[in-house]
Amino acid sequence: MLDRFGEAISVVLGALALAYLVYEIDRRKRKLRDLFYVLDSEEADISADLSSMVESGELQPYSREVRA
Amino acid sequence: MTARAARRSAKPGEPHEGGVTQPLAQTEPTSIEQNGEPSAASRFRIFIVDSGWNSAARRVLHENFGLIRDLQKDDPIYVLSREKSVEFMRRHGSRIGRDPIIAVHDMHALGKGGTVGFHGFRLSLGLLRTPEQALMGLQAFARFLVEHRHSADLEADIRARLRREGFTGAIEIAMHHEAREIGD
Repeated sequence: MLDRFGEAISVVLGALALAYLVYEIDRRKRKLRDLFYVLDSEEADISADLSSMVESGELQPYSREVRA
Repeated sequence: MTARAARRSAKPGEPHEGGVTQPLAQTEPTSIEQNGEPSAASRFRIFIVDSGWNSAARRVLHENFGLIRDLQKDDPIYVLSREKSVEFMRRHGSRIGRDPIIAVHDMHALGKGGTVGFHGFRLSLGLLRTPEQALMGLQAFARFLVEHRHSADLEADIRARLRREGFTGAIEIAMHHEAREIGD
């Protein structure tokens, strides 16, 4: 009886540890993606906005001579 | 540059009235050719959007901008003025508080598929709260740009790096260590 109870506790603790690991990896992955990620269709409108500013001449490349 | 030096505020990044720091100045209209720096075949276009939050990330960006510029001299850098950055944030509200944002457009990818598919990458520097984190994030970003500017498949490189970071994170968690380089 005690053996089975001990096994059950071990399984539960193991499952909790695994769940925590999965949760923590997922959390860090999301955090990293917030920080650094690819530009794709989700950010298409933002990229198009920036590109249009360049194409229209509204934005010019930073010049070494006029540094803030 | 040391982490302690990162904390010191250079003049352009020092808080002004109202706690808003002075943004990097946008240049007078000057063509790339006049600058004589980025070539016509530039791989990237780099954009810096900074609405002026008085943050550690902003100060670190200001203090190291010259070096970033020198490291990326083959590619044009477009610095949005504070006014343009604020307008930009008003149009894309979900980005508020994440700036300074450095967005890099991959001109090869843009030429092939426009903005529908993969076309570059971005760093939301404003999410890094301490000068040390911001400096390390900026350095990692600059390193990535230099190392991958001739990459045949930039998207695959980025996704591989993210997978690697995820794997490293898993090992660190298993070993009860905290992630040190980026993030936490």
